[in-house]
Amino acid sequence: MPHVISRTPRMAQSGHPSGLPTDRNIPPSVTRVIVKTAGKQEEFMIADNILVSQFKEKLSAHFKCQMDQLVLVFMGRLLKDHDTLGQRGILDGHTIHLVIKSKHRSRSLAHSSQNLLTKDPCHRDRNTKGNNNGVYQPADVSHTPVESALPMDPDVPKVQTQDLEMDSPECIEQMLQNPSIQQLLSNLGLMRQFISEHPDMQQWMQQNPEVSHLLENSEILRQTLELARNLAMIQEIMQIEQPEQTIEHPLSPQSYSDLETMPGGDNALDQSSADCNNHMLNSLQDPFGGNPFTALLGGHVLEPAQSSPPSPPQPQKRQDQLPQLPTTRVIYTSSRGLSSNTSANVDPNKVSHTSSASTTAISTEGWSHNCAIQQPDGVPALPSIELTQQPQGEDKDTTISLNSSDQKLEGDPQLSDEQTSSQITGSMMQLLLNNPYLAAQMMLFITMPQLSEQCRQQLPTFLQQTELSDTLLALANPRASQAILQIEQGLQLLATEAPVLLPWVAPYLWGLGWLPSPSCS
Amino acid sequence: MEPPNLYPVKLYVYDLSKGLARRLSPIMLGKQLEGIWHTSIVVHKDEFFFGSGGISSCPPGGTLLGPPDSVVDVGSTEVTEELFLEYLSSLGESLFRSEAYNLFEHNCNTFTNEVAQFLTGRKIPSYITDLPSEILSTPLPTPGPCSFANPDSVSPELGPCPTEILAGLAGSARPFGQALRPLLDSIQIQPPGGSAVGRPNGQS
Repeated sequence: MPHVISRTPRMAQSGHPSGLPTDRNIPPSVTRVIVKTAGKQEEFMIADNILVSQFKEKLSAHFKCQMDQLVLVFMGRLLKDHDTLGQRGILDGHTIHLVIKSKHRSRSLAHSSQNLLTKDPCHRDRNTKGNNNGVYQPADVSHTPVESALPMDPDVPKVQTQDLEMDSPECIEQMLQNPSIQQLLSNLGLMRQFISEHPDMQQWMQQNPEVSHLLENSEILRQTLELARNLAMIQEIMQIEQPEQTIEHPLSPQSYSDLETMPGGDNALDQSSADCNNHMLNSLQDPFGGNPFTALLGGHVLEPAQSSPPSPPQPQKRQDQLPQLPTTRVIYTSSRGLSSNTSANVDPNKVSHTSSASTTAISTEGWSHNCAIQQPDGVPALPSIELTQQPQGEDKDTTISLNSSDQKLEGDPQLSDEQTSSQITGSMMQLLLNNPYLAAQMMLFITMPQLSEQCRQQLPTFLQQTELSDTLLALANPRASQAILQIEQGLQLLATEAPVLLPWVAPYLWGLGWLPSPSCS
Repeated sequence: MEPPNLYPVKLYVYDLSKGLARRLSPIMLGKQLEGIWHTSIVVHKDEFFFGSGGISSCPPGGTLLGPPDSVVDVGSTEVTEELFLEYLSSLGESLFRSEAYNLFEHNCNTFTNEVAQFLTGRKIPSYITDLPSEILSTPLPTPGPCSFANPDSVSPELGPCPTEILAGLAGSARPFGQALRPLLDSIQIQPPGGSAVGRPNGQS
């Protein structure tokens, strides 16, 4: 009777101490086999001529199970009961795999049979829908592999392929509780894709293209919401400016506001915005008149302007400008306000020609800004220089559309002076980049605050006293501006090196009008 | 007595780096690695693999990795499908739970090795199972003629080349692989496309 001594690393009990020493004097017929099962392994000392059935008896006693639950596998072969271990080639130190079948055979059979039955649809489901369990998760990497796990089906897969209750609502409920599903739901990009691919949604988006645009651009969405909040403000501004307008407009501002309240942005609004832009151009003439640098632009523009057809601007593609339209209006109103301020100062007729040419050129050259925002205090800054910036190519007649105003007027489209000034400074930067001489002049102005203050005060009177157009044209001459720059540089150098000499050059400055003459100071 | 059915057992080997490891490993690690191997066992017309989501199965080649880069014939087995699934479920509850996944010590290849031995008594090729230790034991990079610490030797226009940068980065007291260990430990691989095996109600 072969003795079976089971030695396990964990269990404290010992086998039958039948006098056989453990390690020494092992009879040659006793072999040590390792039985591996379910993640643990144990060693058994048995004789190699033991029948498998007898071995199974031992194992069933050891593992507390019935013999028919045991299945022994060695080298991929199932061990039959009538074999001996030696017959199967089991030698010392070999590993035998043991599978303990589930006790409830009926359930296990049902489980496996259902698995088999459902395997074909499982395969199909796996192929077509993928599985939400498969989540490629390199740590902290984005969710794009998750999206690829659901290749084409926008709907979340509704079937856990190896689930027993495949069609029951509990299955879906369990699936929803699956953290993978929740992860998918929280994936905003994926959800946006789901929403956009829904047929009803697509239909709605076709009817209202702005919706698709909103979906894709959260920035526009935010701006739109703020615009909606500020509609009242805008209307108020427009109504304030309305009695002061000096330029006729076939479309009243009220109609604009009415159209504005419909964020749907239909073709009517497109047309009205087109007309609005036309009128904006017209209205800009007066503010341009008061601006000394307008003709600077006119000077730059006149040559190319003659070559390009002065067609009235035909705005296109209003749909993506919904959030910008109110800014159009606000600029429009502010320009009208300014026109009322400055019309009294400047003779409009004189510069209208220039500015009309410039505006025409603007429309055809594709300059993005056409708003003549001026500071209401009447100080002619460089706002119309906005016209010069960002030439976007001649094919873009959407110049009159205020494309870049969207970026400039981020956040609150409710135009305040600060906002206009920020836009002005932004446009100024563009201009300065394009014209380094002007930039240098500005730098000098900045570095000499006293001089800049005086210049600012003197400039309007100075310009009014002289022939405006000639002066501006002269300024447009690059060499002339360069000369002025050199003079300024020399003056600054003199001021730093030998301030005592400044009074000697003062007469020159008086003549130039850059220093107040002694009678005025 | 009818002869027992023999079912072929195949090992599908995927290179997760898609060839990059073979090209970049000499530079990055100082030794030649042929690939970053992910393996799965194919038997009974199903592919079984272990990932961070536990044991999964799919049609052969049905994961997102696509077809395998190489197929190794492991042998054949008498184990029936039913028995095999029982075995897998017991494994999935004991040794190969989803939380047991570790990129270095308890990964897909560990599982494959285990299953291959169960099915056929044979192990999978050693170059696959030795991969983690290979990576972890990468040697210290030796400073070359133009090392990162010697900017003079580097042409001023180009700056340090990537090799030197990597050498400089890896010039810690530990081997390069060990230095990456915390990062690599956090990586979990689960090729999408499989379904759970052996867990009640399919939950992982």
